Amino acid sequence: MVSRRQRRALGFGIAGWGVAFALVSPFLWMVLGSLKKTVDFLAFPPVFLFTPTLDNYRQVLADNAFLRYTLNSTVVAAGATLLGLLLGIPAAYALARYRRTAIGVVLLMARMAPGIAFLIPLFVMFLQLHLVGSFASLIASHLIFTLPLTVWMMVGFIEAVPVEIEKAALIDGCSLPGVLLRIIVPLTAQGIAATGVLAFIASWNNFLFALVLANEDTKTLPVAVLGYIGYNSIQWGNLMAAATLITLPVLLLALCVQRYIVRGLVAGAVNG
Amino acid sequence: MADVAVRRHRRDWTPELLSLPALLAVLAIMGFPLVYLVWMSLHRWSMVGFDPPRFIGLHNFELLADDDRFLGALGRTFWFTVLGLASNLPLGLGIALLMHERFPGRALCRALLILPMVATPAAMGLVWVIMLDPTLGIVRYLLGAVGIAQPPLWLADPDLVVPTLVAVDAWMWTPMVALICIAGLAALPTEPFEAALVDGASALQRFRYLTLPMMMSTLMVAAMLRVMDLLKLIDIVYVMTGGGPGHLSETVNLYNYLAALSYDKIGYGAAIALVLFAIVMLCTLALIKLRRPSW
Repeated sequence: MVSRRQRRALGFGIAGWGVAFALVSPFLWMVLGSLKKTVDFLAFPPVFLFTPTLDNYRQVLADNAFLRYTLNSTVVAAGATLLGLLLGIPAAYALARYRRTAIGVVLLMARMAPGIAFLIPLFVMFLQLHLVGSFASLIASHLIFTLPLTVWMMVGFIEAVPVEIEKAALIDGCSLPGVLLRIIVPLTAQGIAATGVLAFIASWNNFLFALVLANEDTKTLPVAVLGYIGYNSIQWGNLMAAATLITLPVLLLALCVQRYIVRGLVAGAVNG
Repeated sequence: MADVAVRRHRRDWTPELLSLPALLAVLAIMGFPLVYLVWMSLHRWSMVGFDPPRFIGLHNFELLADDDRFLGALGRTFWFTVLGLASNLPLGLGIALLMHERFPGRALCRALLILPMVATPAAMGLVWVIMLDPTLGIVRYLLGAVGIAQPPLWLADPDLVVPTLVAVDAWMWTPMVALICIAGLAALPTEPFEAALVDGASALQRFRYLTLPMMMSTLMVAAMLRVMDLLKLIDIVYVMTGGGPGHLSETVNLYNYLAALSYDKIGYGAAIALVLFAIVMLCTLALIKLRRPSW
């Protein structure tokens, strides 16, 4: 005997899983496509059952350039994330505990400003400094979004730490930087990790900044993947394999910090 | 906390010192470039060639008013934004209502929602190009399976290119709207719903008179985030159509990039960037104002 309640759950379950499947299906198609031979790719109707091959991955990875671009993306994202945390955590602490609201206004402006508004002057400035195409210029420009993101997220995490602990430490003679290093950082370690992951993803995914500021040697993956589409030909299998290699790490990272993602987005909008 | 610090020292500058590095960085990579941008917008400025930048006052802004390509991109950008909001908000709220119900595997379903918004847009845009391919794409096959034998050309169709791009954007960002709404729904008080049930209100009435009004401020937050990003849309347009066919999918941000950095009209591009910035600011502030009176 199936109760009304169970039937309801079943109905919502089918609908809910249907939505989830629809949203994930482009990823499935991407992975499936990356395992196809060219002949399977050119089949219509598209084939769902075929002999999978790793040739596409072999070809993409055999290309030294792809590994080079992966390294570039990693260096830029890690640099922008670490620098963002280093600069952002103390600022977030000051913002959370001492209400220096001016920074909040700056952060909202940063969220609203189009990237191109910074890119045009930065491009000219970096050109004059002979820094166009350097990792320094890419990391510095990515700070435009990793720094606000870090401050936004960390203000929330720091506000959740009970202020009494810090008061006690201050009365015992601990300095403010000491409080930050010995109390805030350990107590918000999880938040720092989540923030770092989000900043890394934002930097890894960024397209426009690298399009403008990178050169052939420092190109990052989102720009490099365009190379698989030529004027007349698309290297279907290689493109799918490259897209899988680029997005998979990000998807896995994101699943680790899933419960912070919305919080960061909402808190950011409300705090500003 | 603050009072402890104040009692220890007469005027404690430590908070300022703590935020100083971040502030200096912000000034260097954001403050100064913005001032420089305003300066550039008042010049005829080219990187190639030997002419030094020439001061022309507000002439770049006057040119904008007569630039059909800019005006076209501006109208199109608003069209993108309207279509984006009109699709994202109802769909996002709908998905949130669904995911608010209890069913087996709900937590996993919710987790899967985050994937489209974190995947690299440039890469996923290209995957969508392959899926939308008019001859070999899976989309053509699926439509054929439900009886639509002659599907449109999507990205090559002048009338459909913008809605198609909006659909890809919606795939990426509707889940974000949904996740924001899920958080909003979870925070709603339960008493009004219990009272409505006792009074015999139908599901539709409960949605119309309780859920929707109480969710308005959450939806406004989502709308604000979406408006800020839709007005600046560029990544997927650049990789999927490059603004084509013709300029029929070109957004302000894309035209801005091309004008400044491909056509080397730095000053003119700076003027467009300032206008775009102003538009994003005005629309965001308008939404914030709109949010106040209702709650």
